[in-house]
Amino acid sequence: MINQELQLKLQAYLDGELMPSEEAQVKDLIESDAEASALCIELQSVKAALTGADLEIKLPETREFFWSKIQREIERQSAAQAAPAHKPSWVEWVRGHLMPVSGVALVLGVMGIMALHSSSSAAQFGEMELASDNMGAYTFRDQQEGMTMVWFYNRDDSQFTADSSLASVDHQ
Amino acid sequence: MKTNADHSSASDEQLVKAAKDGDMAAFEELVARHRDKIYARAFSMMRNEDEALDLSQEAWVKSWQRLKQFQGDSSFGTWMTRIVINLCLDQLRKRKRQRTESIEEMSEETGGVERQMPVVITNPTEGLERIELRKRIDKAMEQLSHEHRTVLMLHEFEEMEYKEIAKTMNCSIGTVMSRLFYARRKMAALLVNLKTEDVK
Repeated sequence: MINQELQLKLQAYLDGELMPSEEAQVKDLIESDAEASALCIELQSVKAALTGADLEIKLPETREFFWSKIQREIERQSAAQAAPAHKPSWVEWVRGHLMPVSGVALVLGVMGIMALHSSSSAAQFGEMELASDNMGAYTFRDQQEGMTMVWFYNRDDSQFTADSSLASVDHQ
Repeated sequence: MKTNADHSSASDEQLVKAAKDGDMAAFEELVARHRDKIYARAFSMMRNEDEALDLSQEAWVKSWQRLKQFQGDSSFGTWMTRIVINLCLDQLRKRKRQRTESIEEMSEETGGVERQMPVVITNPTEGLERIELRKRIDKAMEQLSHEHRTVLMLHEFEEMEYKEIAKTMNCSIGTVMSRLFYARRKMAALLVNLKTEDVK
């Protein structure tokens, strides 16, 4: 039985893909080996049968209907590309607003847990880090209730950034 | 302004040029001319009418978007066929990733059985009418794995060279040769079986 390498060489010879230097070797093989010769005939007959035997089927939709779908899709995609650059998506909104706040909330959460497990006074967590430079915070401490309230705002769009607003805030 | 009648008498090259300038009516004429071939190619790869319709439609939308990249090195029909083939291959790869390969499929990929098959001595297609031959080949093609079917189709129907097939299918030339060999052998065996079934 001829090995796989020779089988593939035989095929490459029939397809005109064999290196010229190897052609003589394969020709000799086909002439001298009955199995190689039979295999060659089989491969050739399949090749011949397939020539021009491609499927001939028609698209099962009318010209107008098929085109209307393509046209709609082209127009839809063009409109999507041409859409004004920014109305921010919800992902961007979350990134811009909620993520800094959640970062601060995380810091405060940790501080809160530390406070619960500590007997020291509230004055110990007077320092606070904000996750974003764009964020501002105001705090209010109710000594009677033992509770601290914190307001967060975005420096860029908050009313607290206006001078008049700042003046009205009574810092504690 | 050009009318549909003007477009119907224009060559593909003229239509492509007009379409590149944004003339959608010219592009519509190209779609009308080549839609059956593109659909047939998608169907021969996917073997499913709905998928073939969706993919051929997608191919046309893509070709409109990429029309500027078409330099005319090949005919427009050939360029379009390459687009639909690539879309079908992407779809088949996705599908393959989603399913667990069976042992049978793995064996088919490496061509375990076909290598030991006895050589088909008689020509299984001898004496057949062209229409009958097409039917049998189509039936046999349906029974091949998509890798074997695709490699046969690209080589015999699209007349691609080994190197080009390897690039299209994203595999080595050795794999192309191996797949093509086993695909032909299996095809020979299937055609003999179909002939035998007819006799019974």
